[in-house]
Amino acid sequence: MSVTGITGPGVRIEGLGRAGRRARGFLERVFGRTDGLVGIVILGLFTVLAIAPDLFVGPLQSIVTATGKPLEPPSAVHILGTDEVGRDMLNLTVHGARISMTIGLMATLITIFIGALVGVLSGYVGGFLDNVLMRISDFFLVLPTIVLALILAPIILDIIGPQAEFLGIRATLLVIVVVIGLTSWATTARVIRSQVLSLKERMFVDRARVIGSSSIRIMRRHILPNVVNLIVAQSVLTFATAVFTETTLAFIGLGDPTAPSWGELLNSAQSSGAPGLGAWWYIAPPAVSVVLVVLSFTLVGNALDDILNPKSGSRR
Amino acid sequence: MSGRYLGRKLIQAIVTVVAIILLNFVLFRLMPGSPERALRNPHLTAEVIAGNRARWGLDKPLFPDQLVDYVQETLTGDLGYSIKYRGQPVTDVVLNAMGPTLLLIGLGEIVAIVIGLALGARSGWVRGGIVDRIGNGLSLIFYSMPYFVIGMPLIIIFAAGLHWFPTSGMTSPGGDKDLVATLFDLGRHLVLPLAAVSLGLIGAYSILMRASIIETRAEDYVTTARAKGLADSRILRAHAFPNALLPMVTLIAINLGYVVAGAITAEIVFTWPGLGTLTVQALDARDYPLLQAIFLIVAVSVVLANLAADIIYGYLDPRVRS
Repeated sequence: MSVTGITGPGVRIEGLGRAGRRARGFLERVFGRTDGLVGIVILGLFTVLAIAPDLFVGPLQSIVTATGKPLEPPSAVHILGTDEVGRDMLNLTVHGARISMTIGLMATLITIFIGALVGVLSGYVGGFLDNVLMRISDFFLVLPTIVLALILAPIILDIIGPQAEFLGIRATLLVIVVVIGLTSWATTARVIRSQVLSLKERMFVDRARVIGSSSIRIMRRHILPNVVNLIVAQSVLTFATAVFTETTLAFIGLGDPTAPSWGELLNSAQSSGAPGLGAWWYIAPPAVSVVLVVLSFTLVGNALDDILNPKSGSRR
Repeated sequence: MSGRYLGRKLIQAIVTVVAIILLNFVLFRLMPGSPERALRNPHLTAEVIAGNRARWGLDKPLFPDQLVDYVQETLTGDLGYSIKYRGQPVTDVVLNAMGPTLLLIGLGEIVAIVIGLALGARSGWVRGGIVDRIGNGLSLIFYSMPYFVIGMPLIIIFAAGLHWFPTSGMTSPGGDKDLVATLFDLGRHLVLPLAAVSLGLIGAYSILMRASIIETRAEDYVTTARAKGLADSRILRAHAFPNALLPMVTLIAINLGYVVAGAITAEIVFTWPGLGTLTVQALDARDYPLLQAIFLIVAVSVVLANLAADIIYGYLDPRVRS
């Protein structure tokens, strides 16, 4: 050990052990990036709103419980104005955070699960399975989620009926979640697969194989922990796309009117003619929220990707 | 170009198109309201049901007969009849809506490619400069906005507020106008939707181009050019820009699917009479034959654009052919 290591701050770091040192370096790098930090703060804010909307603006207003007159501009009583049936826009937007972000989160979980599973299997097993899985992912890479969702969502909805419920969640929302999840895993699968391909050739995997570990055990105990980094970075980026896609699908009219997400609010703004009437307060709150959340997830995701993904470290 | 590279890309494209057609076939048979389900009526006699089944070809087995018929009809452009448009052939309805969409996307792509690539190149070349900070910041914001979210404020400000442009549609109603007046009218209607599509695309292209030029900047031939004493702007224009453009060819083509999907939402905001507005009508009326035709045409166009990009890329960059 060098002299500086004994006297300097290095000693303390040494005491933290290897994992502690890595965690500290990681946090320093994340918080050292202004863009990532700004993103984290904005997301934190929206997450708090999403967790307890009732605490800030009371229960979600309906046509019956609306507190204002139709399309009132912002005032002291309604800071963000009202919609076409007199509901308070602040109330709707805060509750929209919960709905939009819940859908985004669930869709992300499905996407990452399928993506990681396909990526690890494809990369580790290789051969015929790899070939088949990658051709399938080609299909989903070429066709964007929105195009596929346009045809899948209404058909699935008609098959199970829009009133159906699963675990207390209305089918309309669930269909959007599942459709986004089923159609956007390909990028994640590709990123993870290419990392697994290089991991597979490492010594520790060979060793595990020599001592007789089964393929499943190697994938679970040796490959998966080494791609967790990528999974985290991909999850954050996927979340951005999921919120973006949900907003678009709800705007087109595939959302659930009883659970107004930001996209659903923009859909009712459009159908009530708010843009042509110049009712900017009906459009600005949900629109700004969507942009802020998508932008923040992208910023945080890119920062994480630069730090965690060995293949993109020097891109910026 | 080597035949193997071309062949592989061609096979990939064909397989994808076949998968799209198969998906359409399967979905058509899963969905409710199909003739199969409508026939479950206790008042119908067995003969009537059998007659109808024979007329629609439902008496034949799903595989291979119905599938073969379906593929044959799809390939000859027979996609069934629209419900919303009172039994017009779906193909006609979709073809009518394609013109406005192509106009919007085509012009939007041209504007966005010119401005987006220039902005991205400038940003990446002088990183941290004033163009980079403002340009890249704005690009990221526009990149995070669905096209309709860009379009709505445009209407509020420039149509509802300032009355510079109309709020919706592609033409003003009424009157025989001469060619100049017609074109002027079209132009006035086109400005805002075009701005929405272009701004969204400029965001995406400028971010991609910035990354590409940053990578190119580190290449040896750029250092060589600098060592030779070439002016900075000349290195960018003659050495870095053309090379950074290469990956953009693929990225622009891959993006096309998202552009079409995005333009669809922009059309809704401006009631632009293209595929987007048609899609919403089809969704509202649950006009499945129409919806499937739109899906088929959009999906196949995207696949073809990707194929074209692969071919152009292979032609431009000899390294990928091996």
